[in-house]
Amino acid sequence: MRSRLAGTLVPAVGVILVLAMPFMTTDRYLFKVLTFVGLNLIVVAGLALLFGYAGQISLGHAAFFGIGAYTAGYLTGEAAVPWLVATLVAALLAALVGFVLSLPMLRLKGHYLAMATLGFSEIMTVLFIEARGITGGNDGLRGIPYPSLGSFKIDTPSGVYLLVWITAIVVLVLAANLVRTRPGRALRALHGAELGAQACGIDTGRLRVQVFALSAGLAGLAGALYASAVGFISPTTFSLEFSVLLVAMVVLGGTGSVTGPVVACVLLTLLPYVDALVPGLPREVVSFLQDWEADIAGIVMILVLLFAPGGVAGLLRRSPRVGEAE
Amino acid sequence: MSSSELLQFLISGLQNGAVYALVGLGFTLVYASTGIINFAQGEFFMLGGMLAVAGVRMGLPLPLSILAAVLLSAGVGVAMERFALRPRRDSGALVLIIITIGASMVLKSLARHIFGPNEMALPAFTPGPPVLLLGAAIDRQVLWIWGLTIVAVVGLTLLYTKTKLGRAMRASSLSHDAARLMGIDTAGVVMISFGLAAALGALGGAAVAPLTQTAFDVGARAGLKGFAAAILGGLGNPIAAVVGGLVLGVLESLSVAFISSTYKDAISLVLLLAVLFLRPQGLLGKSGREKV
Repeated sequence: MRSRLAGTLVPAVGVILVLAMPFMTTDRYLFKVLTFVGLNLIVVAGLALLFGYAGQISLGHAAFFGIGAYTAGYLTGEAAVPWLVATLVAALLAALVGFVLSLPMLRLKGHYLAMATLGFSEIMTVLFIEARGITGGNDGLRGIPYPSLGSFKIDTPSGVYLLVWITAIVVLVLAANLVRTRPGRALRALHGAELGAQACGIDTGRLRVQVFALSAGLAGLAGALYASAVGFISPTTFSLEFSVLLVAMVVLGGTGSVTGPVVACVLLTLLPYVDALVPGLPREVVSFLQDWEADIAGIVMILVLLFAPGGVAGLLRRSPRVGEAE
Repeated sequence: MSSSELLQFLISGLQNGAVYALVGLGFTLVYASTGIINFAQGEFFMLGGMLAVAGVRMGLPLPLSILAAVLLSAGVGVAMERFALRPRRDSGALVLIIITIGASMVLKSLARHIFGPNEMALPAFTPGPPVLLLGAAIDRQVLWIWGLTIVAVVGLTLLYTKTKLGRAMRASSLSHDAARLMGIDTAGVVMISFGLAAALGALGGAAVAPLTQTAFDVGARAGLKGFAAAILGGLGNPIAAVVGGLVLGVLESLSVAFISSTYKDAISLVLLLAVLFLRPQGLLGKSGREKV
């Protein structure tokens, strides 16, 4: 009983805290940092479904994020398409690319699947740099308009923060509930034993395609929001490092959970920006953390897999669930 | 296009191809003995080049610093297997992939901290004017790359076919458990494969560094190309990795000649995906369904 109460209370308090933030502070830097956390949460929600439930790894989600960002940036900036339409198109296009990519990937598993997504990601990096007409090449796209609905413009840091976080909360609630529904149970069965799932009449191929397309679409959505929130995009953002960092968040969070990856995502995203939360922090500490971000993430990732394979979720959970162990 | 121009493209293709082959051989060695794809393989390519440059800057003679770079990289490869992979040996592929990804992340950013973010060049092994062949110019360093690749391939073949260690390696790749039951130290074989793979990658990185320069972030792309070479030929077979590397290099170079140089990297990656999707056992691999 106690844990069920905590299960509804903790997220509820979290949501209230998130929504109350603009009334508690006006710190622009803090809003900017928290906006990044919210954007990463949207991607991580999709990756948690893909990795933690379907048991697939993607090293290409920075590319889907990039597809969303460039689509939204180009449509709102160059083509003057309304923001909402551009954002939806961006998310759908990323999902479509994910769908098309996942069809031939059905034949692949494990190492090969991961390598295929890595190859895809590198192809997109080349395209982002070379397709200058749309992406602006190495210089990127500048002056992307702020989000707007009709004449209502969301152009303050706190407004953008709220927009991103409300989207993130909606996505997380849907993801957390999805795993309790029939397709969600099918997903878990897929991770547990694909053959077993097939024997139970689950169309595992279709499910794998769907969950990959969904996670790609969420990454595209986050990318679109990123483009209009920051106003400037360039190819370096959508690199392999970002993909790996996203995977690290999900791995640190632990499989078979949405809460774990959320916690890990918040922690890892805040790591290089702790000065936004702790104002008096010496400059050296902050620059050290920013400089060593990748090392810390990589080492923690290895240590977690070696010594606490359940990740944050495993630590939160009192007793291991059946079918948990690798 | 004149025939000498074409020859020039062919030579540059075979130059890159030889380097891809060295990196690809590393993938193949580790895969054969463990069934793991080592996502950190490209970082050993980077380490080879960077450590050799560091050695030269510290005043070591060039051959010595190359040797030291290769040996040190092999040591890093062995350490990675021993301390990060072996404890989770029996876990699923997903866990092992992520550990090697974590390792590559750490190696890359440690290299940035130690060697700095700038591009660095290694001096040519033997400076001098290029060698002319039928109107095409071959840089002396290219001859070194070819020579070292041939030495590595012949050495590996001899190791595989003539020595007790090689027989142990082949036995473990066929069946780990059966090999262990026959008294083969399979853990030692795995460790040696990681060391050899790292050494080959590092050799490739050091050999090409005088031509292309090197930096802390060259590993990922080199790793992908090496993997493409290994998968193009058929994973697990050393000769196939070399053929795959050379084919990939020449295709890339011809695509620069006839299509466009901007999409050179994309073309080899599209090829990688096509092979993965259509023929995962590789061009030289046996057909039939394999567990992929």
